[in-house]
Amino acid sequence: MDHVWDFTSVIASRKLLLIGLLHTVELGVLCLVLGLTAGAFVGAARYSRNRWVNWPASAFVEVFRNTPALVQIIWFYFAFPILVPIDIDPFLAATLGLSLNTTAFAAEIYRGGIQSLGRGQWEAARALGMTYGQQLTRIILPQAVKRMVPAFMNRAVELMKMTSLASVIAYGELMHQAKTISTYNFNPIETYTVVALIFFALIYPLALAMQQVERRLRRSE
Amino acid sequence: MSEQGGEVLRIEGLRKAFGATEVLKGIDLSVAKGEAVVLLGASGSGKSTLLRCVNFLEIPSAGRVVIDGTAVGRERDGAVLYREAELIPIRAHVGMVFQHFNLFPHMTARENVMEGPRTVLRLPRAECRERAGRYLAKVGLADKMDAYPSHLSGGQQQRVAIARALAMEPRLMLFDEATSALDPELVGEVLQTMKDLSDEGMTMLIVTHELGFAYAVADKVLFLHDGRIHEEGPPDELLVRPREARTREFLRGHASFRLPEAEF
Repeated sequence: MDHVWDFTSVIASRKLLLIGLLHTVELGVLCLVLGLTAGAFVGAARYSRNRWVNWPASAFVEVFRNTPALVQIIWFYFAFPILVPIDIDPFLAATLGLSLNTTAFAAEIYRGGIQSLGRGQWEAARALGMTYGQQLTRIILPQAVKRMVPAFMNRAVELMKMTSLASVIAYGELMHQAKTISTYNFNPIETYTVVALIFFALIYPLALAMQQVERRLRRSE
Repeated sequence: MSEQGGEVLRIEGLRKAFGATEVLKGIDLSVAKGEAVVLLGASGSGKSTLLRCVNFLEIPSAGRVVIDGTAVGRERDGAVLYREAELIPIRAHVGMVFQHFNLFPHMTARENVMEGPRTVLRLPRAECRERAGRYLAKVGLADKMDAYPSHLSGGQQQRVAIARALAMEPRLMLFDEATSALDPELVGEVLQTMKDLSDEGMTMLIVTHELGFAYAVADKVLFLHDGRIHEEGPPDELLVRPREARTREFLRGHASFRLPEAEF
């Protein structure tokens, strides 16, 4: 082992890394927001008694939960434009893949959170004369969301890590920038070490916050 | 016992089937204003289902429910159609107390009681607070207003649930085995609350296994068996000299019921 660690070329490329970090955060946050929003609708659709609504929703969830995110991203980049006549750049393909993947998992979290409440809460609200919407917003969701929060935070952590997969279609997030830097400077060991540290610094606080929230929720039960 | 007014509830030929299983096979009954009517019967006899058909938590398969002289639902081609928009005001005027309380755990006792008046009746917040205070005091929980359900005993939770139903100022109260989930030492406080309500003239339809309570409070007792009203009468007849063999058998099963020592 005669590798001599030399970070000077990495430090010289810090601007590239910073851009990569911004792109990583941008992709992660966007997909999280899109996934949590769309997930609520897909989760609700899986609840529907109408077969034409719940069946497609279930199929969507199963497909995206049971295929690798990497395959989804690559598929949206190369195969999707053949089916749909629109230009797809790496950012759009990555956003589609990761947000739909998050949608599928989020839908299950919403569904599980709501189902974890017994029938009695719905009935008590209904017996008071509440509409379905009132039962949901006043009684069910305030309780269910509390139970969903840890699972959502877990999803957020997973998603931040999955953004690195977008490098395979040359979206300029951290991992892709690292590839570029290391190719120019022949310093993959130092570059990927730094990238690992950046990812850790980005995600570890999220994980810590998650533990905090979980502890607080457990206390309030 | 209580002064009698008009008819608050009338049920005609009520049937309810779950799939191929017919739970109620044609029930007729009527509850006058201020009356307390107790439904007895073995488990599976359809008592709870009958109660739940009155506020349409279950939709009857056939027959009519008439509340305050108005038949609920619209008849068409021999079937009765129910629209959710029509059922909501019915539920708002019929209070229900559940076996397992079903309080909202994310709200304090006061918020639980305020919720109906605020969200359903859309009364001003100040009035809802005032109502909550009044009804919680009525069930003896003026000092527990800001407690969350998880910090209350079962008996206290059930009394909050009663206050929650009362705050809607219902025409009729339904009690679905309100004391069955309680530890024995907590049953008395809930029964006392129910008795007080009846004494004040509340119209009540009660499913219970507390025969002593039925004897002391009921104006009329109905014995359900196999989806039908098998026998009915005033408590001092049905509970003391039942005519039907099934009723006698049911009452014998409640060995703890001895009239002279009955609590009420």
